[in-house]
Amino acid sequence: MTLFIQQLFNGLALGGVYCLAAIGLTLVFGVLRIPNLAHGSLYMLGAYVTYFFLTAVGVPYVAAIGLAAIVLAVVGILLERLVFHPLRKSPHTHHMIAAVGAMFFFQAVAQVIWGADFRRMESPFEGTLSIGGAQISWQRIIIILTAVAVLALLTWFIKRSIHGQTIEAVEQDRTGASLAGISPNTVSMLTFALAAALATIAAGLVAPINLLSPTMGAALDLKIFAIIILGGLGSIPGAIVGGFLLALAEVMTSTYVSSAAGEAIAFVVLVAVLAVRPTGLFAKAVQR
Amino acid sequence: MLTVTGLSAGYDAIDVLHSVDITAEQGEITVLLGANGSGKTTMFKTISGLIRPTAGEIEFNGKPITRRPASAIVGAGIAHSPEGRHLFPKMSVEKNLVLGGYTRRKNRSRQRELLNQVFELFPILHEKRHDPSGSLSGGQQQMVAIGRALTADPRLLILDEPSMGLAPLVVKQVLEAVVEINRTGIGVLLAEQNATQALRIAHRGYVLAEGRVVLSGSADDLLHDSDVRAAYLGM
Repeated sequence: MTLFIQQLFNGLALGGVYCLAAIGLTLVFGVLRIPNLAHGSLYMLGAYVTYFFLTAVGVPYVAAIGLAAIVLAVVGILLERLVFHPLRKSPHTHHMIAAVGAMFFFQAVAQVIWGADFRRMESPFEGTLSIGGAQISWQRIIIILTAVAVLALLTWFIKRSIHGQTIEAVEQDRTGASLAGISPNTVSMLTFALAAALATIAAGLVAPINLLSPTMGAALDLKIFAIIILGGLGSIPGAIVGGFLLALAEVMTSTYVSSAAGEAIAFVVLVAVLAVRPTGLFAKAVQR
Repeated sequence: MLTVTGLSAGYDAIDVLHSVDITAEQGEITVLLGANGSGKTTMFKTISGLIRPTAGEIEFNGKPITRRPASAIVGAGIAHSPEGRHLFPKMSVEKNLVLGGYTRRKNRSRQRELLNQVFELFPILHEKRHDPSGSLSGGQQQMVAIGRALTADPRLLILDEPSMGLAPLVVKQVLEAVVEINRTGIGVLLAEQNATQALRIAHRGYVLAEGRVVLSGSADDLLHDSDVRAAYLGM
């Protein structure tokens, strides 16, 4: 039972990170119809920039994540302007090739600045909390709480504020949005900025638990693509449910079966769900 | 108030419109008639900034608006309810209407007023304000589309075939609403398949064929013109 509680919290923390990373990917897909394969690289850069603010600049942990999120929001906007915007009228394959190119570019940038070696970031929250006999590290509890708070804020922004509503408007009908006076360009930039900032928060939160490396984004990319396909492309609730579902499946399988099986379980779940519901759990953008 | 001069526009380097001149006067209903493919929708899309013209000028209230982005044109006072409606299908009727006023969102009291006006004009929308717009009937969706254009507080309302695919009774309702809107001083530029009904409510009309204006005049004259009657009114 103690082991189960321990792993439950590990799973929830991992799920929070997956959700934050996956939502950005699903938002970008919803608005621009681009499977942004470079999303994991934004997450990786977010981790390094947080590391930079924490160690080189010396600001507190939370401020480092906040500053990194702002920096990455700008990187996200540049990625949209310089790479995807000029390609908006070209075939889909071009977007994917461009995204892969951006991914390699970001990896190279990180390698040039920070080197190819693994880096470690110290957790500012030492100690553990004892719940039902299990020792849960404060870092994991902070991840879970922050993820929930950020997800709540984001949902409010998109569903309630008029600026957030422009994202859904463009997603549901681009022409209609233009005619309502909403600029799809502005919305594309806003979406990329938001996606990159969310990925950075995810990366900054998990960095003290995992190691940093220029290729850390690639492993995440696979997982979050599985999550948003599982949840239904373009769906935010889908990304949230999918994120927690896959993380729990992964952690529990690693614990009770084997860690190799844990890495593969995400795709077993994906195949199982798609066999029953080919459009994903919360099909939204795919049905036209 | 709207002056289109020498306008040519189209898709992928193929012009659909060829040097078209039209004017829509302040507070009038101007109707555009013409068969499918005659260029009505292309003209509207060009006016509202969805398509860039290849030649010509568009002026609104004395200011050039040619090649401005769609959002700036809404801001200038032209709202376009497009062919096919282009609603936000998963959002509630009310959210659709609120987003219509996106460019005027700073003026909250005026927005509230406009929203109430839309609900007065189409009471059924008030009843269904929490329903997703995609779940409404065709006629009701058309009302949402018109309403979404009205919450932009326009001086000129462009309506592209508002009666397309609607039952005759609903068509009558929609056209009555157009007259009602016009009575408040909003100019209307209307494309309509029901030529007779459209000319009856309009002040002025143009007949387009293959991207050119082939006839124009007061709605009354067009309604009694034997060429128009033969070609478009089936009489």
